[in-house]
Amino acid sequence: MSSLPTEIQQQIADWLSTGEIDLFIGWEQGSVPLGATPAFVRDPQDVSRLIWDATCENNLTAYLAKFKGQKVGIMVKGCDARAIIGLMQEGQWTRENLRIVGVSCPGVVDARKVASALGITLEELDQAEIVDDTVVVGDQSFALADTIHDMCQTCNRRNPNIEDVHLGETLPETPVDDPFGHVGEMEALSSDERWARFQAETSRCNLCFACRNACPLCYCTVCFADRTQPQWLTTTSEAEDVQFFQIMRTFHLAGRCVGCGACTRACPQGVNLRLFLDKLRLDAQEVFGYTAGVDPEAQPPLRTYRQDDPNDTFL
Amino acid sequence: MLNDRMMAPPKDLPAIWEPKIVAFLCNWCSYAGADLAGTSRIQYPPNIRVIRVPCSGRVNPIFVVEALRQGADGVLVSGCHPGDCHYISGNYYARRRFTMLKRYLEYLGIEPGRVQFSWVSASEGGRFAEVVTKVTRDVRALGPARRLSINKVNASETDQA
Repeated sequence: MSSLPTEIQQQIADWLSTGEIDLFIGWEQGSVPLGATPAFVRDPQDVSRLIWDATCENNLTAYLAKFKGQKVGIMVKGCDARAIIGLMQEGQWTRENLRIVGVSCPGVVDARKVASALGITLEELDQAEIVDDTVVVGDQSFALADTIHDMCQTCNRRNPNIEDVHLGETLPETPVDDPFGHVGEMEALSSDERWARFQAETSRCNLCFACRNACPLCYCTVCFADRTQPQWLTTTSEAEDVQFFQIMRTFHLAGRCVGCGACTRACPQGVNLRLFLDKLRLDAQEVFGYTAGVDPEAQPPLRTYRQDDPNDTFL
Repeated sequence: MLNDRMMAPPKDLPAIWEPKIVAFLCNWCSYAGADLAGTSRIQYPPNIRVIRVPCSGRVNPIFVVEALRQGADGVLVSGCHPGDCHYISGNYYARRRFTMLKRYLEYLGIEPGRVQFSWVSASEGGRFAEVVTKVTRDVRALGPARRLSINKVNASETDQA
């Protein structure tokens, strides 16, 4: 755990005391090991609670929907910053209402990996801390680089692309050979094998909707899954209902998903949602040459059209 | 004269599976094309169940996935040719949306051919028949839909046959 540098604390306190922002969203020490918890700071006195380290895995921009219309300060990692651009593109937020503290992120820790390295379950992991570049659990220690999430290991967006002030050093962007390698592997399978893979992943889903709640771009006031007229989703969790929900929620992010991975990290069952969402990101790139979360002025691909779009899907 | 036996087939005789295909047809082109096929007495397979929509752009991807969930063996979405949309641009948006949807469903393991898309104008009665014939042939070759379907009655019937 490390508190924010004094000058950043001072900056946030200034924003709060001058009324430039009503609220600052950051991370603070959590009650579970290796999990920081979101902090909502309104009083300048409280900025000392805020922290930044590899346990700060939440994408805080998911909370912005709750504070629409207010002036909000927020801390973002490289991947989180992309979501802010997505929200700006869709008219959810304007730049003037946001004060952004950007931080370069070498990857956030996956507590499951630490637990499995120790041969215990996540629930049994009752204490752990991060000391410099290692995760220390009792008398054992692991290199932080080995225990970060898979998605962080293939990250090529470590630095925020939208921010007012930057915390700490800027990290070099490591070129990644094939950030969509896992999608390519799935594509190489036969139709039956792909369905089996989809079934296997979704069979663990129990419709808790943590993925939806963690997603910064899932901001519909009434989600299709909660609608009663028409009622798309029944109250059971039959395999077909789960598959239906997962297909539709992920497809709602077609051309919008910025690939922050918040849904995958939030899933208590470890469903690899990235495997599905990254296909949509890859298609948006391949078919429409569009990458979400880069240009605030660009139109998401399904919100616009060209007369010479590819026509090969249609008979 | 029909006897009782002919009126009601014996219960142990397996039902012959026929694909059920839900077709979302836009009011201005494809539905009128289907109408023209009918008035021109052009033959096409009776496997489609038509749902008339104002525009192919009105078709939410959830309709397509829901049709599969409810037990449709195939889904066809058909609208006006690009440039001919009654609402100027509805089918352009539909084209982008369904290009993404088709690739995505196939990526997840829905068989290619289950879900198809076409452009049929109001003057293309013959083409409408060809499209329906092709889609029905493709879906028949794939057999009953088992993926996503909560209504697998058809599937178990063919298992017996």
